[in-house]
Amino acid sequence: MGEQSHRQLDNLSDPLISWLLTGNRPVRFVATFGICLLFGFGLLVTPRVQSADREFSRALVAVSHGLVLACGGHAIRDRAILRAPGGFAIEMQDGCNAVNVTILLWAAILAFPAPWATRTLGLLAGSLILQLLNILRFVSLFYLGQYNMAWFDFAHGYLWESLLVLDTMVVFWLWVNRIVRLGAVTHAGA
Amino acid sequence: MPALETHARFLLRGSALLVGLLVLWWFVLSGPMLYLLKEAAESFVDIQENAAGGWTVSVPLEASLPAAPGRPAPQNIHSVDFDIPRTDVNGFTFSIPVFWAIVLAAGGRRSLRPLMLGTALMCAYELGSLLVFFRITARSAVAQIAGGQDASGKWIGALGHYLVVNALPFIVPLVVALSLHRELRAAIFPLGKAPELAIPSLLPDKRKVRRRTALPRSL
Repeated sequence: MGEQSHRQLDNLSDPLISWLLTGNRPVRFVATFGICLLFGFGLLVTPRVQSADREFSRALVAVSHGLVLACGGHAIRDRAILRAPGGFAIEMQDGCNAVNVTILLWAAILAFPAPWATRTLGLLAGSLILQLLNILRFVSLFYLGQYNMAWFDFAHGYLWESLLVLDTMVVFWLWVNRIVRLGAVTHAGA
Repeated sequence: MPALETHARFLLRGSALLVGLLVLWWFVLSGPMLYLLKEAAESFVDIQENAAGGWTVSVPLEASLPAAPGRPAPQNIHSVDFDIPRTDVNGFTFSIPVFWAIVLAAGGRRSLRPLMLGTALMCAYELGSLLVFFRITARSAVAQIAGGQDASGKWIGALGHYLVVNALPFIVPLVVALSLHRELRAAIFPLGKAPELAIPSLLPDKRKVRRRTALPRSL
């Protein structure tokens, strides 16, 4: 166990040290980040991925519906639409399923020099956190819409989306911090 | 865990500032910002405010429509007119308070310069993205009227629209804040020695309270 973790840390230290010591790393990060971001969004708007994206939205609405019911609430699900008994309905459309912020996180993680195992862990854990937050966002909007439409428009269009971007930034920051801590331990021990 | 505290403080402070500044923008600032944006954009395109508060935009665009069943002879277009609801236009001013929230959440003694410079950059970005949005909308309208756009043309139009409306308004404030705020950038990207990010806590410092209460016992 100790040897395995030591090997993992050794693997981790090399890209980190080169990141710290090589002058053009930030430029490479920005370029890779931009390319990954464009590639991700470019892929997202293709018809095939759009179709998968709609299916993903339906799955998220199913989870949100289950959550509402589990908490004692009342809602009816119709594909990607969640309906309240009072008549209010909310649909999870493209751009509301946190795929855009997930692409943002993925681009940042893929652009940062780190071993693939660490990257994969960051991609999976980060995506899971963002999706959980997005379900919370969707359920909160479902109730806010029943209460006040003006506040719903504000929270839906601007507030929640900005908060998700801030969360994405902090998730990435935590991931980088974890790498740095692990790398620093190896560097000190070497 | 001092690192976790920094993240948590940034997140708490950033979230509180986002809520506060976006509410301020929604109720107070969006009107004047929209007015200034319209004045600036009118240097490039003709904009009229309609009765519903939205904009009627006339984008200069040279295009020729080929003959079709409903159009016996080819037709030349010199400009495209379309309406944009006020809620859609509002989206081109909201990145500025998001940028402010990120920079103010990072705090630090040298936040004023990135705040001022970043605001100027964000204003330029908002104007640029609005003009790109006009162009994309006009081109897509012409393509629809002309009928039959190839797959790559459709994809480029969809990507441009997605970036300008759904992605960049949220990403650009983050990128500009990270580019200009040295302490925030150094905190996230560990590139050697850098000034430490000093985010004021929203809550009383538990360690200080604990130390104060623990001190008499140790004595």
